[in-house]
Amino acid sequence: MNYGLHAVKTITRRRVLETLITPGFYIAASAGLFFGYILVAGFTGSIDSGGLTFSLNPVYSQISKILSSIFGNSFVEKLFSHGPFRFAFLVALLPVFCYLSSSSVYKFGFEKNVGALELLNYGPSNSFSFSLAFLLKDLFFSASFSLLLVIFFSISAFLNNFIIGSDFFIFVVMIFFLVVGVLSYGILSVSLTDNAASSLALFFGLLMFFSVVQIGSYAVTGEYVGNLSSAVSWVVRWFSPVFYWTVGIRAAEYGNVPLQLLSISLLIVLSVALLFMSRIALFVRGMR
Amino acid sequence: MIKTRALTKRFGSFTAVDDLTLNVRAGEIYGFLGPNGAGKTTTILMMLGVLKPTSGEMFLFNEEFSHRRLDLKQKIGVVPERHPAGMWKWITAREYLELFADLYRVSNFEDRVRHLLEKVNLLEVENKKISNFSRGMIQKLSIVRALLHEPDILFLDEPISGLDPMGIKMVRDLILFENREGRTIFISSHMLSEMEKICHRVAIISKGKLLAEATMDTLMLKAAKDRDIYIELEHIPGGLEEQFKRMDFVLDSYRDDNTLIVKVLKKGDYRKIIAKFLIDQNLIPLKMDEKFVTLEEAFTIITQDNVEKLVKNRGGT
Repeated sequence: MNYGLHAVKTITRRRVLETLITPGFYIAASAGLFFGYILVAGFTGSIDSGGLTFSLNPVYSQISKILSSIFGNSFVEKLFSHGPFRFAFLVALLPVFCYLSSSSVYKFGFEKNVGALELLNYGPSNSFSFSLAFLLKDLFFSASFSLLLVIFFSISAFLNNFIIGSDFFIFVVMIFFLVVGVLSYGILSVSLTDNAASSLALFFGLLMFFSVVQIGSYAVTGEYVGNLSSAVSWVVRWFSPVFYWTVGIRAAEYGNVPLQLLSISLLIVLSVALLFMSRIALFVRGMR
Repeated sequence: MIKTRALTKRFGSFTAVDDLTLNVRAGEIYGFLGPNGAGKTTTILMMLGVLKPTSGEMFLFNEEFSHRRLDLKQKIGVVPERHPAGMWKWITAREYLELFADLYRVSNFEDRVRHLLEKVNLLEVENKKISNFSRGMIQKLSIVRALLHEPDILFLDEPISGLDPMGIKMVRDLILFENREGRTIFISSHMLSEMEKICHRVAIISKGKLLAEATMDTLMLKAAKDRDIYIELEHIPGGLEEQFKRMDFVLDSYRDDNTLIVKVLKKGDYRKIIAKFLIDQNLIPLKMDEKFVTLEEAFTIITQDNVEKLVKNRGGT
C-alpha cells in the first residue's frame, strides 16, 4: 500500500479507537438521541383531529414560537410539512457534530502546538495524512450516528404511522456533505493558527459567520442570501458550505436533480480546496 | 548518504542558514556542532523536509529529498530536540511504540521492542504510562521509537540532554552499537566531550555558515597551535625539562608528578626523536601520548571570529 494511504489508515484507526474509549462521544450521542426522541414524541402529541397543532405540546409550542419569530409562520409550516424527522435529525445530530468537530479541532491544534504533527511528519506520513485522518474519523462517527438516527426514526415512523419519504434520506445525504465542508474549515482553522484555543475560536467564528449570514439574511429580508447583492453575500455564496447545502436542499424540494448534484459537487470541491489550502498553510507556516 | 548543496534559509532579511554544503558518508557518525542560534535545528528541519529551504538542494541516499518523498522518510529515524511527550502521556510506552510500529510497518515488533527497551533499561516499565516517565526516560523512549523500524540513517538532535551519567552511557553504547550495525548517524549536540567519544567526523557551523568539516583528528590538528606530548617515566631526573627546552622544535617542557609534558610545534611528528633522546639518556618511557586540543577547545577556537577568518583563509576545512 502507498505510504500516504497507509499513514491515513493507521492514524484514522488510532483516532477512532481514541474516540471509542473516551466518554465524550457516548454522552453527545445519548444527548442527541434524547433530543431526537423528545422531538419525535412531541410531534405525535401535537396532532389532534384538526391536524398539527403546536400548542398541544409545550416543546413544539416553544420551538414554533422561536422559529416563527425569526423566519415567519410559512417557514415553520413548510419545515414540519414533511413530518418531524428533518428537524429532529438536525437537532439530534447537533451535539454529536459539535463534540466531534470541537474535539478534533482542539486536539489537532494541541498536537500541532506540542510538536506531535511534526514528529509524525518525520516518518512516512505528511500533514495531509494527519488532516485526512481527523476528517475520516469524524465522518465515520457522523455517518454511524446518522445511520443510528435513520434506524431510530424509521422505527418511530413505523410505530406512529408516519411516512419517511425519500426527501428525508436526501436530507441526510446532504447533511453528510455539509459535515465534510464544515470539518474542512476546522482543519484549515488549525493550520492558520498557533494554538488550540485560537483554532477553536477561528473555527466557531467562521461557522457562526456563515450561519448568522445565512439565517439572518432570510430572517431580516425574507430573501435567501443567494438572492442578495452585497459583499458579505458574495463571500457566503462562494465560501459557505451552509449556502451550498441550502441550495441542495431547496433543489431537492423542487425536484431539480442537476442543481442538487451540482451543490454536492461544489461542497466536495470546496472541501478539497480547503484541505489543499490547509496543507499549503502547514507547510509554509510550519508544523508547530 | 546525506548531502546538502548550497542549502540556504532566510527568514525575511535574516539568513539562518547560509550556503551550507555538507557531505555525510555511509556508515559514519557525523557530529553537527555549533553555538546556540548557529542554525543547527533549522538545517536539520530542512534536511527532514519539515522546513522548505529558500534555495539549495538536499539529497538522501543519493536521491533528491523533499517532504513528499515518504519512501525516503521510511528509511530514516529521528529523535527531535523536544519530544512532544505531553501528547501521549496517557498511553503506555508499549502502546506509544505500537503506534509508530504501525506507521512504519515494523514486522518484527515484539523482538525489536524487547531488544531496544532492554538496551536502554526500559523493559520493566514498558506497560507503565508515559505520564510517569522522567525526562531522561522519555528521551530514551524517543530513541527507541526512532530505531524501531531499523532506519538506515538516524538523525539525533541533542539526544543526551536531560540524561544522567548512566543514561548517557547507555545511549552512547546504543549509538555505537547501531552504528556498528551499519547505520549512518547524524548527531547534533552541545555535549562536546560525548561527541568527541563517538563521532568519526564533525561539522562546525556558526551564524549559519560552515566553518569546518573534517575528521576529529584533522579538526583538532587544525585548531591546535601546538602539540602536547605526555611521557610517563619511572622517575624524571633533574634538568631534563631544560634539555628538552633547548631542542629547536620544543616550545615548552614541564613536569606533573611522573609525567613529563613536552609542548612541540604543531607540524611534524617528533615522538621518535623524543623517544630516541630518552633512551640515549637511559630513560625508558612507560607511556607516551600525544594530545592536540579537546573538541571543546577546538570548537571554541574555530567559532571565534578571528579564527573563523583564519580557517576560511586556509580553505574552509
